[in-house]
Amino acid sequence: MGLKYVDEYRDASLAKQLISKINDVSEKPLRLMEVCGTHTMSIFRHGIRTVLPGNITLLAGPGCPVCVTAQKDIDAFIQFARMDDVIVTTFGDLIKVPGSGSSLAREQSLGADVRIVYSVFDATNIAKENPGQQVVFCGVGFETTIPTIAASVLTASGDGLENFSIYSANKLTPPALAALMEADGVEIDGFILPGHVSVITGTDAYRGTFEKYDIPSVISGFEPVDILKAVLMLVEQNEKGVPALENAYPRAVSDQGNTKAKIIVDQVFEICDASWRGIGTIPQSGMCLKDAFHSFDAAIKFAMDLPDVPEPKGCACGEILMGLKTPKECKLYKKRCTPMDPVGPCMVSSEGACAAFIKYSN
Amino acid sequence: MKTDKILLDHGSGGKISHSLFSQLILPLFENSALAQQDDGAVLEVGGQQLAFSTDSYVVDPIFFPGGNIGDLAVNGTINDVSMCGAHPLFISAGLIMEEGFPIEDLKVILKTMAHAAKKAGVQIVTGDTKVVPRGKADKIFINTSGIGLIPKGVNVSGNHAKPGDKIIVSGTIADHGITVLSTREGLKFDSDVKSDSAPLNHMVKAILDSGCDVHVLRDPTRGGLGTTLNEIASQSNVQIQIFEESLPVHNSVKGICELLGFDPLYIANEGKLIAFVPEDDADKVLKIIQQDEFGKDAVVIGEVKESNPGKVVMQTAIGGLRRVDMLTGEQLPRIC
Ligand code: SF4
Repeated sequence: MGLKYVDEYRDASLAKQLISKINDVSEKPLRLMEVCGTHTMSIFRHGIRTVLPGNITLLAGPGCPVCVTAQKDIDAFIQFARMDDVIVTTFGDLIKVPGSGSSLAREQSLGADVRIVYSVFDATNIAKENPGQQVVFCGVGFETTIPTIAASVLTASGDGLENFSIYSANKLTPPALAALMEADGVEIDGFILPGHVSVITGTDAYRGTFEKYDIPSVISGFEPVDILKAVLMLVEQNEKGVPALENAYPRAVSDQGNTKAKIIVDQVFEICDASWRGIGTIPQSGMCLKDAFHSFDAAIKFAMDLPDVPEPKGCACGEILMGLKTPKECKLYKKRCTPMDPVGPCMVSSEGACAAFIKYSN
Repeated sequence: MKTDKILLDHGSGGKISHSLFSQLILPLFENSALAQQDDGAVLEVGGQQLAFSTDSYVVDPIFFPGGNIGDLAVNGTINDVSMCGAHPLFISAGLIMEEGFPIEDLKVILKTMAHAAKKAGVQIVTGDTKVVPRGKADKIFINTSGIGLIPKGVNVSGNHAKPGDKIIVSGTIADHGITVLSTREGLKFDSDVKSDSAPLNHMVKAILDSGCDVHVLRDPTRGGLGTTLNEIASQSNVQIQIFEESLPVHNSVKGICELLGFDPLYIANEGKLIAFVPEDDADKVLKIIQQDEFGKDAVVIGEVKESNPGKVVMQTAIGGLRRVDMLTGEQLPRIC
């Protein structure tokens, strides 16, 4: 267990030095977006917002996979759960997300076979153990999760596992950043870029967006010291007026990323348009199975092609993950919408901004 | 969305379990003992105060490093009775077994139960066994109930926390939950993690015999330390502040939590207590706990404040502040 590793980046005295440096250097009002849901969680867990000067606002971005999943995709998962002889496999957070009128958890309590898995390979194992049933995996992830899903499809294909398929609502990070920069009303002075995603993509993946929009961008790890370091770099870039694409997580992230993983992904997936909650369709921001793997595509196998459906009324999830609103500005927050009875996915996912606000802030 | 069915979450020990209790159960059984919402009921019979408690065990897997469902069931009830400030005396045990369950396994479990009872100095005096057809239960479930006597003058309850109290935890947190989870998921960690399942009645007796003033005793089982502190904060209408840096967590448990994204504050313990003690007596109680075989790693983790009643906050290691909410949603099913 690499414990020392973690503790070093949790070093309280180092963190405190960074905090005082940020306080010294920072003058301009700044809106910094942490793109990744894991960052949002870490920021709240360590109380990072409470130690930053008042002129810095941290915004939760579109990097919580469950939160950006379009309503029609949630509905598709629910449809699968309702089919006879189908076992739906999913990561835990997804099961409570309300679709139009139900949720996977609800279908489960009504008798549907919905199973929480920790890895997509748990799903292929379930498929092997249940040859008489179809196993559908709800693929909701970013660059971090996609390689494993691709590997599972390759394995399933090699093993001739005919009762396994995935529904791909997988998404890519850089196109979402570009979409944010293009969107009306979005004011962002810098991106805290996701560490785990960047391990796979490498720093180079962001270069296009950076060069086009000249937006301060720093890749960050997830420990408090990592995040504070990234914030300090973004503050310095802004104060000096010199935007840069920097890597504050070099112990894990290289320029090129994980080429092996990228090769596996390329074998199985191709880039396609994808529908994002709140943002709508972003061109070239999704990952669809290549023709050769259509027999593993649950959308094709079960002819599942649902129309776009409106998001729950009053839910500001989409605006929140674009940095346009904070959870407290949603009228339903803490009233109609609570973790026990959530309206939108931002209240369900442990990485969601609304769930984090309610859980960690007073 | 509201549900008309029982969800796994209802068994989490967190928020949704509480609403099941307060909205459905309490109104139907309305009585003052139940309304106290402590680990056990405190009753008066013939001028003597009794503590009475019950708990069911459905842990999966039934065998895990550091114990099995048998000692878990005995220790759990001993601890619940003890947390009422009582000396546990007698225990009942009800076994529900699945057809086909190996007698060999049953023998091991029963032996462990006998051993646990002996170690704690309680007797298992009544019980019941039921068998259900294969597939209608998973291997074995155990219910235990226990009664104990509360010595004169002892009055501990979750609603007695007072501003100024120091909060002591008797050792490392999250050991049990993480052990069961990693065993169940077949996670191979080269670690020394094992369940902390242990009887705490001797520790409680030593604390109470010392004559020190103790306001609250609780064992943070299902829902973990975070949930238990929230229960106390709302029962006593006080604010609780804890310090992240003082929370005792085994290194390997911390590592597994990091890896799997769990917060040790919400992971079950089965052999730990928390004590709320006025500042003047805190050192003395801490030393007494540290002298017990299950309390060597005891530390003060926080204190009770007046402002913001009902809330639990934590000062993080980097000096930030954050709220510690009650567990919402089932973090880990079938952990005890
Ligand atoms: S509080 Fe609930 S309804 Fe409002 S934005 Fe968040 S998830 Fe949506």
